Amino acid sequence: MILRSYRFIDLESPAQYFNTWLTPANHFFVRNHMHEPSELDAKDWRLSIGGEVEKPLTLSLSELSKIETHSVVNTLECAGNGRGFQRPQVPGIQWGKGAVGTARFSGPRLHDVLQRAGVKPTGKYVMFRGLDEVPGKVPPFIRSIPIEKALDGDTLIATHMNGSPLTKHHGFPARALVPGWIGAASCKWITEIKVLETEFAGNFMSPAYRLPNQPVKPGETVKPEDTHPVTGLSVKSVIAAPGDGSSVRVGRISVHGVAWAGEADIAKVEISTDDGATWSPATLGHENARYAWRLWSYDWKAAKAGDYAILSRATDSQGRTQPATAVWNPSGYLYNAVDQVKIHVV
Amino acid sequence: MSSRMLGEADSYQGMPSGMPQVVPCDAAFRRWIFAIILGALVALPLAALAQKSASANVTADLPPGAMQAKATSTCTECHEARIILQQRLSKAAWTKEVDKMTKWGALVDPADRDPLIDYLSTNFDPDKPPYEPQRTAGGSSGKSK
Repeated sequence: MILRSYRFIDLESPAQYFNTWLTPANHFFVRNHMHEPSELDAKDWRLSIGGEVEKPLTLSLSELSKIETHSVVNTLECAGNGRGFQRPQVPGIQWGKGAVGTARFSGPRLHDVLQRAGVKPTGKYVMFRGLDEVPGKVPPFIRSIPIEKALDGDTLIATHMNGSPLTKHHGFPARALVPGWIGAASCKWITEIKVLETEFAGNFMSPAYRLPNQPVKPGETVKPEDTHPVTGLSVKSVIAAPGDGSSVRVGRISVHGVAWAGEADIAKVEISTDDGATWSPATLGHENARYAWRLWSYDWKAAKAGDYAILSRATDSQGRTQPATAVWNPSGYLYNAVDQVKIHVV
Repeated sequence: MSSRMLGEADSYQGMPSGMPQVVPCDAAFRRWIFAIILGALVALPLAALAQKSASANVTADLPPGAMQAKATSTCTECHEARIILQQRLSKAAWTKEVDKMTKWGALVDPADRDPLIDYLSTNFDPDKPPYEPQRTAGGSSGKSK
């Protein structure tokens, strides 16, 4: 894994790992804003559900496991994935292409748990608090999602990933799983769910994880009221192979990778080997689920030796297409420019 | 890829908990080895302690300069140096970061604020060569199942 930070731990998957539909947990990116919980005891762990509910609840892991389980194959991507490609640079973990992965997440529906507590009509947002250990006076990592997304049948309190209990890095014993949305929505190690009348007011809802309503120039100040929370993911493709900077022989070259679009579906992926002058369709893999990426492949016949750039461009069911240049924003969120690898054909 | 390898001690593979183990290198590695040898000469339990604490705090170093020691003690109280090493920011952006971190608990003496901003913006400005991240050993081969 690419080590972005060791303390606190932030790991990125190399793009060449993206050749399976499901990403094994040990190849799945890890994003932390602060330190992971130093102590996690499944026996003592409790999840409280309160706020704007009729009947506040506290559930043990055993009680949670008795609620009907639902599975969602979801592509989880950090909002800051690709931040390192933004120019001018912006502060934050300088992710390359690999703060993204796909797994089958399983656990009770958040809807079913909230239903047991009975959401009052005043409940408009659902807040998650986890066991992230806060250094210094850093604000706690608490975020909220609108009640509509919380009650969606695919939003989970996930306890499992690819059939195994969550690893500690990925939120053991339970995390929120908000499919199609930025990874930050899917808070890890959750211990508290609180139904709120308004969006949670805290650093990780504002000013963090917000985008300007209109594109801004570097250095321009954006008023908080001119921003909105980052929610669903953008349309994006990444080339897994050939690797950037690699040498390949003249002849048939297998180009492959992944493409995803958050809550939308991938409609097509196109490949260019002539700097974007012409584009040819890639073949989409047969494995498909609503919130999951699609594998894609393209057989390119490289007729003669030379240096080439291979470009990939995804388009989704909403008509969104990866742009040649991503829209710059002050925090480097949702970078999704056309992907590119440069190779030597010998 | 040109990223450096860190060795074969990555325990990230499939483990349910704990931290990925990375093997230190370069100057940090030499100091670590020195600490272990020195410890072994004094007492074996001390050597074991040195090894344990070193492996749990594998960090990169901030660059030399008048503010190196203060920046190290102030910033790495909460996070390691790599988070700084990978940034390429203007002086205005570093000023915002230093002020934000001070608000969040970083202990910056008011007299050190400007020298700290100068130190960071001199060493990590947008014109510096790109940062090359290290890799944990388990995922370094580029091969996947």
